[in-house]
Amino acid sequence: MKTKPLSQDPGSKRYAYRVNKEENRKELKHVKIDENSVAQKNGKLDLPKKKFYRQRAHSNPFSDHQLDYPASPDEMDWSKLYPHFYDQETGKMAKQVTIADIGCGFGGLMVDLSPEFPDELILGMEIRVQVTNYVEDRIIALRSNHAKEEGYQNINVLRGNAMKFLPNFFHKGQLSKMFFCFPDPHFKQRKHKARIITNTLLSEYAYVLKEGGVVYTITDVEDLHHWMVKHLEEHPLFERLSESWENEDKCVSIMRNATEEGKKVERKRGDKFVACFRRVQTPEII
Amino acid sequence: MSCYPLQCSVASSDGTLLFFVCKSTILAFKQRKDEFEQAGRWTDSLFQIDSEQDGVKKLKSNNGEAVKKADSTIGSAFSLQIRNLTLSSDESKLIACADSDKSVLIFDIDYNSSDCLKLVKRQPFPKRPNAIAIGDDGDTVTIADKFGDVHQMSISGQVSAVGEESQPILGHVSMLTDIIMTKDSDGHRFVITSDRDEHIKISHYPQCFIVDKWLFGHKQFISSMCCPSWNSNLLFSAGGDDSIFAWDWEKGTKLSQFNYSELIKPYLTNAHLAADRFQNDEKDIIEYAVSKVVTSSTAHCLAFFVEATRCIVLLDVCPKTGSLSLKQTVEFSNNVVSLSQANNEFIVTLDTQSSADGILVEFVTYEPDTGIFKVNIPKCQAFEKVLAAALKDQNQLGSDATDLYPLYSTISLKKHGEHYS
Repeated sequence: MKTKPLSQDPGSKRYAYRVNKEENRKELKHVKIDENSVAQKNGKLDLPKKKFYRQRAHSNPFSDHQLDYPASPDEMDWSKLYPHFYDQETGKMAKQVTIADIGCGFGGLMVDLSPEFPDELILGMEIRVQVTNYVEDRIIALRSNHAKEEGYQNINVLRGNAMKFLPNFFHKGQLSKMFFCFPDPHFKQRKHKARIITNTLLSEYAYVLKEGGVVYTITDVEDLHHWMVKHLEEHPLFERLSESWENEDKCVSIMRNATEEGKKVERKRGDKFVACFRRVQTPEII
Repeated sequence: MSCYPLQCSVASSDGTLLFFVCKSTILAFKQRKDEFEQAGRWTDSLFQIDSEQDGVKKLKSNNGEAVKKADSTIGSAFSLQIRNLTLSSDESKLIACADSDKSVLIFDIDYNSSDCLKLVKRQPFPKRPNAIAIGDDGDTVTIADKFGDVHQMSISGQVSAVGEESQPILGHVSMLTDIIMTKDSDGHRFVITSDRDEHIKISHYPQCFIVDKWLFGHKQFISSMCCPSWNSNLLFSAGGDDSIFAWDWEKGTKLSQFNYSELIKPYLTNAHLAADRFQNDEKDIIEYAVSKVVTSSTAHCLAFFVEATRCIVLLDVCPKTGSLSLKQTVEFSNNVVSLSQANNEFIVTLDTQSSADGILVEFVTYEPDTGIFKVNIPKCQAFEKVLAAALKDQNQLGSDATDLYPLYSTISLKKHGEHYS
């Protein structure tokens, strides 16, 4: 007989942890966390533990998941994700998202980018439910623990399928940076369309990126690195940035060192391949 | 004689040359005054080869050897249609897609020959073509496939091997359902593609890597789009939503929406109940979708039909504002299978399988005196005679419950995300 996974076994620690966290998340997910709200509670919130959020590493980007996405970018309510940047009087957002981490995983990159770009809103998109829950819990804890200095108010995460629904979230030219960190390599030839960088998807990324915006890629799979470089180089709207540019860019060094996958590769002494591309000016329409 | 319905039709712009698909055969008819005559016939020979294998699904073993899987008949019934009949703009070529080998078929139409259909090219593709459009140069065909990619081929060029296809010119991460090639008022060319995920994407052409915009508003899959010849910046779209959408695609704005849910209620039957696995406890979830929306080339109106209903709905279109209003509904004795238009009429094919002597093709003609559309009974009768003769000597065209083609497959595009995590 097949035993139930721990997450569905009401007696397990993981189940209890998940239920508890889910209640907490429901309550705090869209609440404006500031000094006053935290003062009432007193005490530090523990950061979530990854072992309780284990999930299969792959997700099929073609299947019909139960996803929440706005019908159009105008209908997206960003105030819930970034309550500190919402102006009650005008009813408008003071900022809009300009940095996107596609497949943000456990959110390490965002957490490190947050203090570096305090005036920019950073959004992580992740397709795996449990991993998204982890990042949400992590952000709730970080915001509570850094309420005094209003830390981590500029990052948040969405469960979504960026390959299908990116244009539902962002207007034309809205983004200045897009990160693709350690994407699923989809080794099989037959599955290459499932890769996050393809020549047809790049046209959609070029649409949401402003001219001069940057696509960052990093992977520990050399084949995938060559694939991404090839497709980005072939695309008329992207040009590769030089190695010296990479070495001077602070995001590249954060990307190399901050992400969970990056740290794992470091521990295993694996290689990390970085390639960055600039969104060039749209050519004249013929 | 109970007969297998005609799945698909297209007519020349003056309406005198008609093409129909019956299973894997294309039939051509010519009209001279009030008389019709058969002008051509072409049968997909791969159809027979495949059906001899009795629809056994082929699988590969780990060593790459073909393995036969017993008792799987799904393969044949679902994959042997001919679809997407399209005429080139000068009407010298007929283009179609054959499911049997996932290829695009190109026919020369030779009006002087005894059989006007001459297959000149058969280009296979790695994935099944779902919709095609022809560029204004008359030689470029764009093919939107089931996998979400748009490929391009030339009518005149050489056939290339499968897999050696060039890169797709654009793509969605979703099944593509329709494609239109058009021009804006400045003469710039565009490709408009629709998919199973509510998206209508407008890309520049030939610079397809530049996305111009998306049209947002659909909440369900899109099955059909059309641009009227009398106002090139209008676009109509429909599918799983209970509305027909009218857009100004150049500006990217939605002009109006026509809700047909009340109108269609009397025509819904048990056939519209959702599949068991998507049903509720009361077993009363109804699902329906628009199969096709078509604009008239002469009148400012459009026609559409909801899958597995026995009527077409005609809407008046204000050519300036794009607003939609009900003009009339036209009822038939059987379910509508396909809808196309020519000159001043709509051509409707019907599912006569359940009725003893149903008419297969109805011509719904515009009457300038009354300003409404009416079934042209003399024309239908004249055509039915010629059609019956054409279908008679073809045993394989006779209706047989064991090899029915999926006539009503549009609703299967509906997503049931709530059933998955």
